[in-house]
Amino acid sequence: MGFLNPFMLFGITAVSVPIIIHLLNRRKFQKVVWAAMRFLKVSVEQNQRRMKVEDIILLLLRCLLLILLALALARPAMKQAASEIFGQTQVTAVVVLDNSLSMGMSDGTQTRFEKAKKTAEQAMETMPAGSSVAILLASDIVNGVVPEPTFDFNLARKAIKEAPLTDRGSDLGPAVNKAIETLKGRFAIRKEIYVLTDGQTTGWKQFGEIENTLKKVKGDIRAHFVFINEHEVHNLGIDELRLDSGMSPAKHPLRFAVRVTNHGREPARDVRVSLHVDSDPPSNEYNLELLGAGESKTIPLFAKLGGEGFHSVTARLPEDRLVADGKRSVAVRAIKEVRVLLVDGEPGAEPRDSEVFYLRHALTPVAGGEQAGYFIKPVVASLSDLSAARLDDYDAVVLANVAELSETTVVAFEQYLRRGGGLVVFPGGKVNPVFYNDSLVKKHQLLPALLGEIRGQADQDEKYLSFQDKNFDHPVVAIWNDEGSGTLSSARIFRAIDLLPAPYTRPPAPKPGDNPADVKLNDAGEPRVVLRYSDGRPAVMERTWGLGRVVLFSTTADTAWNDLPVRPAFVPVMHRVLGSIIQRQDEGLNVRVGERFLRRTSSELLGKDARVTKPRQTDAVPELRRVEMLAGAPALHFEQTDLSGLYEFTVADPLTTFKFAAQASALESSLDELSAEQKKLLSASAHVVDWTPGLSLKDVVLRERSGLEFWLPIVLAALAVAALETFLAQWFSRSK
Amino acid sequence: MDKAHIDQLLDPQTISNAEALGMQARSMVEGYMAGEHKSPYRGFAIEFAQHREYSHGDDTRHLDWKVQARTDRYFIKQYEQETNYVANILLDGSESMKYGSGAITKLQYGKMIAACLAYVILHQRDAVALGLFDTTMRDYSPRSDSKATIHKLMARLAAFEPTDQTNIATVLHDMAMQIRRKGIVIVISDFFDDEQKVLEGIQHLRFGGNEVIVFHIMDPYELEFPFTGLVEFEGLEQIPKILTRPAEVQKSYLREVEAFRNRLRDGCEKNQCHYLLVNTAQPLHEVLAGYLGFRLRTTTR
Repeated sequence: MGFLNPFMLFGITAVSVPIIIHLLNRRKFQKVVWAAMRFLKVSVEQNQRRMKVEDIILLLLRCLLLILLALALARPAMKQAASEIFGQTQVTAVVVLDNSLSMGMSDGTQTRFEKAKKTAEQAMETMPAGSSVAILLASDIVNGVVPEPTFDFNLARKAIKEAPLTDRGSDLGPAVNKAIETLKGRFAIRKEIYVLTDGQTTGWKQFGEIENTLKKVKGDIRAHFVFINEHEVHNLGIDELRLDSGMSPAKHPLRFAVRVTNHGREPARDVRVSLHVDSDPPSNEYNLELLGAGESKTIPLFAKLGGEGFHSVTARLPEDRLVADGKRSVAVRAIKEVRVLLVDGEPGAEPRDSEVFYLRHALTPVAGGEQAGYFIKPVVASLSDLSAARLDDYDAVVLANVAELSETTVVAFEQYLRRGGGLVVFPGGKVNPVFYNDSLVKKHQLLPALLGEIRGQADQDEKYLSFQDKNFDHPVVAIWNDEGSGTLSSARIFRAIDLLPAPYTRPPAPKPGDNPADVKLNDAGEPRVVLRYSDGRPAVMERTWGLGRVVLFSTTADTAWNDLPVRPAFVPVMHRVLGSIIQRQDEGLNVRVGERFLRRTSSELLGKDARVTKPRQTDAVPELRRVEMLAGAPALHFEQTDLSGLYEFTVADPLTTFKFAAQASALESSLDELSAEQKKLLSASAHVVDWTPGLSLKDVVLRERSGLEFWLPIVLAALAVAALETFLAQWFSRSK
Repeated sequence: MDKAHIDQLLDPQTISNAEALGMQARSMVEGYMAGEHKSPYRGFAIEFAQHREYSHGDDTRHLDWKVQARTDRYFIKQYEQETNYVANILLDGSESMKYGSGAITKLQYGKMIAACLAYVILHQRDAVALGLFDTTMRDYSPRSDSKATIHKLMARLAAFEPTDQTNIATVLHDMAMQIRRKGIVIVISDFFDDEQKVLEGIQHLRFGGNEVIVFHIMDPYELEFPFTGLVEFEGLEQIPKILTRPAEVQKSYLREVEAFRNRLRDGCEKNQCHYLLVNTAQPLHEVLAGYLGFRLRTTTR
């Protein structure tokens, strides 16, 4: 027993009012001089006792009336009352609809999400008139479509009807917490939460916390969990699709890696995996003969991108009951050519002595006559030419054994990197480590590492270092995890500079509610090791800088300190390094579902509107997004990436198209569900219902629901007392 | 002064009505001079009553010779003696008579009744004695049949102011002892006293052969008790104050008053007295004309 408006209990003090009125009335009377006192005296003596009793009865009734009114206003409530003779008590409820990707699992006619919507409407039907309901959509975020309980059930029904299924991951913890928060401060006897989910274990990462939270509020809030998960044993999904080639030149065959996982309980046979460019027919297909239960396989598939610009590449599986994870798209920007400026710090007398001789050849690994048509266009320049060069004309700049740079050049590099340029730095004998450390690391934070001690001797070939031969973490060198791709460890490095990672402070993560325009982007990214020596020390490091990337080698670009340039691995290493620089500009093209898409644009688009076309919504009215200044540069951004697939921005004038793709979490493909033990644990603090066809949630909830608010019977009692008081007052005051 | 008293106490319409009706003695009265009323004494006046056998010493003038001639026996003719009467008007002058809900108090009304009756009685040459009493006889005017007496009576009535409680029974007993000749005793009072003792007093008067007329004067508020709300009643005769809601005890009060009146009326009827409840809201001329008219119709001569 408790009170929902306990402060109204102070109203009980009003009980003194009739007593005071009674006492005051006794002092207010008419005086009459009277002769026939003997008869009056007899009458009064006969009636005095009765009148006193009647007065006391009326006074008590009036006091009782005030007490009852104060009690009714304080809204006393008792839980576990079986009787509903005074009608059902209003419910204040929060309906949590799981709209994560896995809710798209269909039984052939209806998806889990459609069933959840119907069940949510059934839950609302159980609520008596005067109830209020809030609607939350739960995926890896909580979307309050009706964030506060509303009495407008039509609005709530409309919100449920129009609730979209997303391709997001699932995490029910925040949604349950939000629902509890929403209900906590409310004055209501019946507070209920309806969670309609498929019970996928990925959504219950915080199972223990959810259970504890529900236990804490068990007395106040009743939670109903409806698990909509018919047993499913088959599900194939594409977990990953990535461009395996270092770069994405147009009209060149590109290798894509497609990882297919059998999330089902039984092996899958003859699985056809196809790769599509844009909306073209499959450019490549692969037949997986056998994929065991729980097994993953990565398949190389090839495609050619038609022309320069943005393309979508989609890998597809035959449709199963969960359609969304059977295809995965990436956005790829096809490039026509890659222009690289090779700054030679030590040209030497002969071309072969040039610091960039090997580099130039490695970047154009074709016969002399074909070099002109090759997509990589290296241009060699001296240090003196550098100041005159327009950096923006090049996709990447390589500094090979450059002693120092002028401050103007360094600032120009900053701007260049910020706009998406790439910088590759090779040390050498002429390099001034003090300048590099002071200016490029400490002052401008361009390089990912400080240059340390120089180790080894270049004029001998007995003592050398070699690169690691396994456990490659960085994507640039990840292909060498595959032994078929050759080895890096055959190269000998006789002399190298120790790379000491530059100090770095990670910026605080932006909060979900922050305005994207206010988020300050940090230019210098975290220093990462690309490649290590076999003794574990960094051999190559990189960091992102603005939209660009800086790669720092610890040894020379020519054979002065090592024999890497004459090793077969040099070409793929340099191509992949260059690829990482080019892809850096396009890194933001592929985001996870729910992540923000952000792309810098040219300044001529500033202030113009881009039309956004979302996946699966080609017929919907397109949204418009304006190109606006973001952290000092014009940019397009888009946050509503709830669906996986291709998003397209089109600016009409000048006609410009950007594409980006969102990929769903592979975890959503999992068929793992909450175990019976877990559900049993949960049922200790909540009402757990397993959905079955024909389930009537109304019956189940009405049976289970208990709790009664007593204001109505008290008001009725107060009315009865008021009526009795009126009747008795008349009856008592009649002439006797 | 006298004129003012007369104007105040004698209502012309009442007097006019009452004069015409007159105040006749209902029973035989013992007057002290010949008048209009029957005397218990057989005399030798005009009205023949009966024959009586002559006995020695009778006046031979009254021998009925015609009878003696026919029967040869001596009979004396007897006639009814007609005489005047003495009306003793007793007006209660206790404090309770001071009450009046309207313009007129019970005492004032009583005074008017007394004045009018006195005037009518004197006017028909009967004698009037007036007594004003509370616990004792406070003011007594001996009998007089002189019309001029009326002025004196008026002045006395007008000058009287009540000061004490009532004790009617004692006064009635005293009167019964004092009255030597049978006459009419008119008691005007609210009778807020022990009615049993009052009735004993009336009985005593009746035992003396007097005709007793009871004018029971009550205020309309005393008869209806129409008060509402919370009222504090302050007694006129030493009963402590009573605070009550009169509407709630009205019926009970009226029952008490009714019972009292019934006891009084029954007692009067038992003693063959006229009991007349007088509501001071009624016009006096109606009250007196009604009673005197009734009296005229029912009087035996």
